[in-house]
Amino acid sequence: MPVISPHAFIPPAAPLAAANDAAAPIPATLRETVRRLERAHSARRAGQQAVPLGVPDIDALLPGGLLTGALHEIEAGPTPSGRIAPHDGAATGFAAHLLGRFAATRAGTLLWCRRDNGPSGHSSDAPPYAPALAAWFDPARLLVVTVRRDEDLFWAMEEGLRCPGLAAVLGETRAADPTAGRRLSLAAEKSGLPALLLRTQPAPAQAVCTTRWRVASAASRSTPGLTDIGAPRWRLELRRNRFGTPSIDEIPSWLLEWNDEAHSLSVVPQAVGGSTRESARPGLARPGFGQRRPPAAGARLAG
Amino acid sequence: MRLADARALVPDLLTAAAEPQADRRMVEAIANWCDRYTPWVAIDPLGAALADDGDATAACSAGGFGGDAGLLLDVTGCAHLFGSGEAGERALLADLTERLSRHDLAVRAAMADTAGAAWALARFAERQADLFCPPHGHRDALAGLPVEGLRVEAAVIDTFRKLGLRRIGDLYPLPRAPLVRRFGTAPLERLDQALGTVAEPIEPRRPAPAFRTRMAFAEPIGRPEDIAAATSRLLAALCRQFETAGVGARRLEIALYRVDGSVDRTAIGTSRPNRDNPRLMKLFEEKLGELDPGFGVELVILAAPEVETWSGAQDALPDTDTGPVAALAADPRAEEATIDLADRLALRLGAGNVVRLLPRPSHLPERVQVAAGAAQAAVAGLWRRMAGLKGARPTRLLQRPEPVDVTAFVPDDPPSVFHWRRHAHRIVRAEGPERIADEWWRPRPDGSRPPANSEPPFRDYYRVEDDDGGRFWLFRDGPYRAAGDGRPSARWFLHGFCA
Repeated sequence: MPVISPHAFIPPAAPLAAANDAAAPIPATLRETVRRLERAHSARRAGQQAVPLGVPDIDALLPGGLLTGALHEIEAGPTPSGRIAPHDGAATGFAAHLLGRFAATRAGTLLWCRRDNGPSGHSSDAPPYAPALAAWFDPARLLVVTVRRDEDLFWAMEEGLRCPGLAAVLGETRAADPTAGRRLSLAAEKSGLPALLLRTQPAPAQAVCTTRWRVASAASRSTPGLTDIGAPRWRLELRRNRFGTPSIDEIPSWLLEWNDEAHSLSVVPQAVGGSTRESARPGLARPGFGQRRPPAAGARLAG
Repeated sequence: MRLADARALVPDLLTAAAEPQADRRMVEAIANWCDRYTPWVAIDPLGAALADDGDATAACSAGGFGGDAGLLLDVTGCAHLFGSGEAGERALLADLTERLSRHDLAVRAAMADTAGAAWALARFAERQADLFCPPHGHRDALAGLPVEGLRVEAAVIDTFRKLGLRRIGDLYPLPRAPLVRRFGTAPLERLDQALGTVAEPIEPRRPAPAFRTRMAFAEPIGRPEDIAAATSRLLAALCRQFETAGVGARRLEIALYRVDGSVDRTAIGTSRPNRDNPRLMKLFEEKLGELDPGFGVELVILAAPEVETWSGAQDALPDTDTGPVAALAADPRAEEATIDLADRLALRLGAGNVVRLLPRPSHLPERVQVAAGAAQAAVAGLWRRMAGLKGARPTRLLQRPEPVDVTAFVPDDPPSVFHWRRHAHRIVRAEGPERIADEWWRPRPDGSRPPANSEPPFRDYYRVEDDDGGRFWLFRDGPYRAAGDGRPSARWFLHGFCA
């Protein structure tokens, strides 16, 4: 809104304070909602389509879901102990879930570009495994591209975004290249195809992506009395969201559970509040292993 | 004769070290250059000074009686490019001789109905006019040539001369049986080959493409736009040939013949038979930049070494069990666009790096997923049906399982701690084992078959979760064995990462 302040030429400290005073009466939540509505409207006008994640709590923070024609980033997060696994199945699983959601709304091939570290690289290669990915989408629709250099990866993704026969493009790399990110974002906007960047290691944040997610494995829940592995659980954080920027203190965070039979993702209700704060600074508040489990949580509440 | 003796005779003798390898390269370069006339070019195996890679001195004398290095060209069906009938053949021969002489090569080229006759004429014809032997004239032309033209060993030639057989024509009236008894079958076989009663195929250095077009320029061209325009026109001509033959190209090769006699080539591949001019041209545009026209290009040849029967634009089978996606039925144009994308990616990244995943009926996890060409997709829904039959699988599978150190309380239990890459993972939850035995009906990687009636080796897979929530797929290779019975205890491996 082009308002020319009469105090425009006095030292900068004063108008800043004045602006803060003026904004104070409007509740922050209302401003957030208005901004979200505005951006969602502009996105819809640009021909972008929202694909719901299937989790109402998360879709409410987004304009109805993840936008096609935009760049989304998924990074593997550190585990509760602060360590980063060299390969994380959870981030791959979440990326596959997103791919599956996009694949369900649009016919076509899914392009999965990945970087091969080669025999000289330290980490051995662990490519995506189709029998497990079949839970989220049909691997027959997958076209897997292996590259040796990051330039080739971004080039292949851009070529893919220009191709009308695709449904979604995913790139898997450790590199963070703002220029490449902006190019991908523009290419996605132009074609209306969703672009996903999967980072197996946390990388410096990029300003260009529409949403940025951090996924880490979380302890699953056994059948009472047994030590079997329950449905996979992931700790999901929305680190960046163009439709309402999370501040560093209040990063939205959920504990999700993937139901392999119903093929659905759901939020696990947590007995103990304040878990967002814990996961925002995993190094400071390290929850012990048993704490997440309902019996332990109940005990803490009772105490 | 030794070098010292030769120097004594001729004091100002010019000498140079023999370089058979370099000679060989030179002959190969000339053979490459000769591809402009015909795809059937062979290096004469009898020519001297043709070193194979390896022992240089032995190779120098390998030919022995072959004289100088030679090339054999099968120009059947190629001479019409220079004129019709016999005139075209004469023009081709004159063109070949003249162009090679321009490169300062001492060359003698002859043309005849058979390779043997041309070989003899090129070496022993006395007059320039005899070098071209008109069709069906080789019997008369050979008759006047010395017996050295028969491509037989020097000892046989000596005997012929002692017997008064000086010309090849002297052998014509002789009875064959005594000749064979005296000299073996070799001289008569060579004679029959030269006369054309026995076939002597020329083996080309590279497989001759079935489809080939060429374009020669009066003035050498060098600008990239000109080369692209020439490629486009050649491609149009080739695509017409494809349509007549009912095939499509899987691989196309373009060769630029530069004015300095060198050749530059590049190739494109497609993932399914293609004869669509604009789409092939688009693939070529990415590669043409790599070609170096040098001082100018005087000839461009476009060939299709690999073609396949044209299947046309196939309609996808309707799939019934994918639900809402089936409604958005695959648009054939969108599918073509995907194939084009795959071809473009494969051109830059290598064909093996752009793949689709096909399921294979197997129990071994690493064998289940096969990489296939971009044009072959699995039947829709097949993966899901296969996955339903198996236990839980990891989202990422290590290409090579990595050994881990484990500690287990009870031998047959899942481990309680495992160490992988210098980090201890304390296991809190575990599922298993899922026993997967080796496929005894398949030969082993070394080709041997497993012995009958023996228990095949097996792996016990466990899905485990550590105290950090990470889920892993481990296996024990073989049964547990107590330490101390002399055999090594079973080892554990990490094979994948679960969601």
